[in-house]
Amino acid sequence: MIALARKTLLYEWRRYLPATLAVALSGMLLLVQLALVYGIFQGAAVYINASRGQLWVGYPGTRSVDLGRSIPLDTEIHLLMNPGVRRVEPFQWVNGDWRGTPALGSVSVFISGIDPTANGLAFARVIPPQLRHRLYQPNAIIVDAADLPKLGIHLGQTGILNCQRVHLVGVVHGIRALGGVNIISSLATARGLNAGGDLRPAYYIVQLTQSGRAKALRNQLRSSSHPPRYSVWTSSQFAARTIRYWLFQTGAGLGVVFMSLVVFLVGTVITSQTLMGAVAGSIAEYATLNALGASHAALARVVLEQAAWVGTAGLAIGGVLSTILLFLARNQNVPVSIGPLGVLVCLGLVMGITLFSGLLAVRSLRNADPAYLLR
Amino acid sequence: MSSPLHAEGLSKAFLSGKVRTAVLEQLSLSLDPGELTLLAGPSGCGKSTLLAILSGLERPDQGWVEAQGERIWSLDHHALRRFRLHHVGFVFQGFNLFAALNAVEQVALPLTYLGLKPAEYRRRAEAALDEVGLAACRHLRPAEMSGGEKQRVAIARAMAKEPTLLFADEPTSALDSANGRIVIDILHRAARQHGVAVLCATHDPRLLSHADRILRMEDGRILDDQHPASPAPTAEDSAL
Ligand SMILES: Nc1ncnc2c1ncn2[C@@H]1O[C@H](COP(=O)(O)OP(=O)(O)OP(=O)(O)O)[C@@H](O)[C@H]1O
Ligand SMILES: [Mg+2]
Repeated sequence: MIALARKTLLYEWRRYLPATLAVALSGMLLLVQLALVYGIFQGAAVYINASRGQLWVGYPGTRSVDLGRSIPLDTEIHLLMNPGVRRVEPFQWVNGDWRGTPALGSVSVFISGIDPTANGLAFARVIPPQLRHRLYQPNAIIVDAADLPKLGIHLGQTGILNCQRVHLVGVVHGIRALGGVNIISSLATARGLNAGGDLRPAYYIVQLTQSGRAKALRNQLRSSSHPPRYSVWTSSQFAARTIRYWLFQTGAGLGVVFMSLVVFLVGTVITSQTLMGAVAGSIAEYATLNALGASHAALARVVLEQAAWVGTAGLAIGGVLSTILLFLARNQNVPVSIGPLGVLVCLGLVMGITLFSGLLAVRSLRNADPAYLLR
Repeated sequence: MSSPLHAEGLSKAFLSGKVRTAVLEQLSLSLDPGELTLLAGPSGCGKSTLLAILSGLERPDQGWVEAQGERIWSLDHHALRRFRLHHVGFVFQGFNLFAALNAVEQVALPLTYLGLKPAEYRRRAEAALDEVGLAACRHLRPAEMSGGEKQRVAIARAMAKEPTLLFADEPTSALDSANGRIVIDILHRAARQHGVAVLCATHDPRLLSHADRILRMEDGRILDDQHPASPAPTAEDSAL
């Protein structure tokens, strides 16, 4: 084969540059946007992602971790009866009201009551054991460094939470909440702060003897009574459930779709215009090929191949740009997160619009009528 | 041997607005293999239109064209294209070469549509370039070639298919007289050596001395059909 499409693209790369950049920018916008939204909503699932343990047990049908409600205390016994379970740890969920300095007013906070023992599961990925140990002190709390200005407090100082004086014993990174401030305390402190409320925990976090058997144990541990007394999720399942809830409940999902449509529209217009221009620039050559016997389909293949190359080059550039951007974002503590599936979806969509633009450009091959060459 | 191309009673008119202008009127002609036939006549007399009809690019209003034992205007679109693919070569006034391809690739490209293997189309392309005297320019792109060289690449492209019919529309009008002469010589040689029927439209009087046959057209008719007694020798013949 004579690689007409590829050779033309390399030889006249200037002509194809706008389309390539349009594809690159479309891909980058899409990917970064997805990573941002996903990263922000990862914050909703921080309780799960920052903790160890394979299963979460909570109120039946809970759609998002922050919507937890108390579950029966005997759940713990029931879970521990399974020989596959190594450890069951209660997780207390209390809504709170923070009184900082008069200037800051009150801030609504989420209090997570956790087990302060050294091998505790909740937030084990972000709180080191010796810091965790400090939570044994009465009314001790830990917050995220980024939330300090919001609370108007420094390490070692005290503040008023649910009308009680609490003491900031530690500051960590990576427990920022979505739409509020996370405050971590011991289970006992949390119960004390929830005076008059329900003293039962909202969740039990389960550590298994074999971490690989999470799905099997989830099915074994399912509540057998009707209606069920609790639900069991694997941690990744519960995190995904939480993120999905936030995506759709806040309308952010729709925002992503809308932005993507705009990006696609712009990308398609630029790419198809560029390809059409390229076809128009070589229309006499295409017409000559057609006169010499090349079929319309063969010419269309050349244009589509060009589109595919533009897409490939654009995605390569876009990939590099996105990587740089995501890296910078990470460095600046901007929450971004994207998995292989997200990347694949972006790649597929961008390649899709590029080929669609190619199809639009194929239409202008109709002008390649060899009769026009004879005048 | 039957003639490679025979046409009877060709008529063609174009509508511009409500005015219908007849371009060809009841025109008949046959081409002979191995002959360079020049189609001469004033601008607008219908030379290009006749070429387009004979080569299967523009449908006549009346009449028929027979080639390879078939009436080409009875073929469907697809079969007509295959007819052109296998039997017809074209050389246009503009060279119509792809900017990104070198000479070998320009010539080989149409051959790929014949389903030839890479080794075969490469061999044919190089042989065709040899024949137009461009063996040394194989790897040059159009931007690196003179007008005359480009037109010779275009002729090689048309000839590499080994067609039975070759149509050339004003192939020399973009060239100076020296290059024009080289091009017409190559066409002449192609006709003789490969038995191709070459029909070349031109209004360049300097070319007339090179033809085996001259058709003079005016107002959509052929007024005069001459076989000059002894066609002038080609540059190559005289060099021998
Ligand atoms: N598609 C078309 N629509 C309308 N008129 C046309 C069309 N093609 C050709 N004509 C007319 O037909 C006539 C003959 O055109 P043609 O191109 O065959 O002339 P020609 O002999 O090749 O002239 P030239 O030597 O200038 O190339 C011209 O008057 C032209 O205007
Ligand atoms: Mg003409």
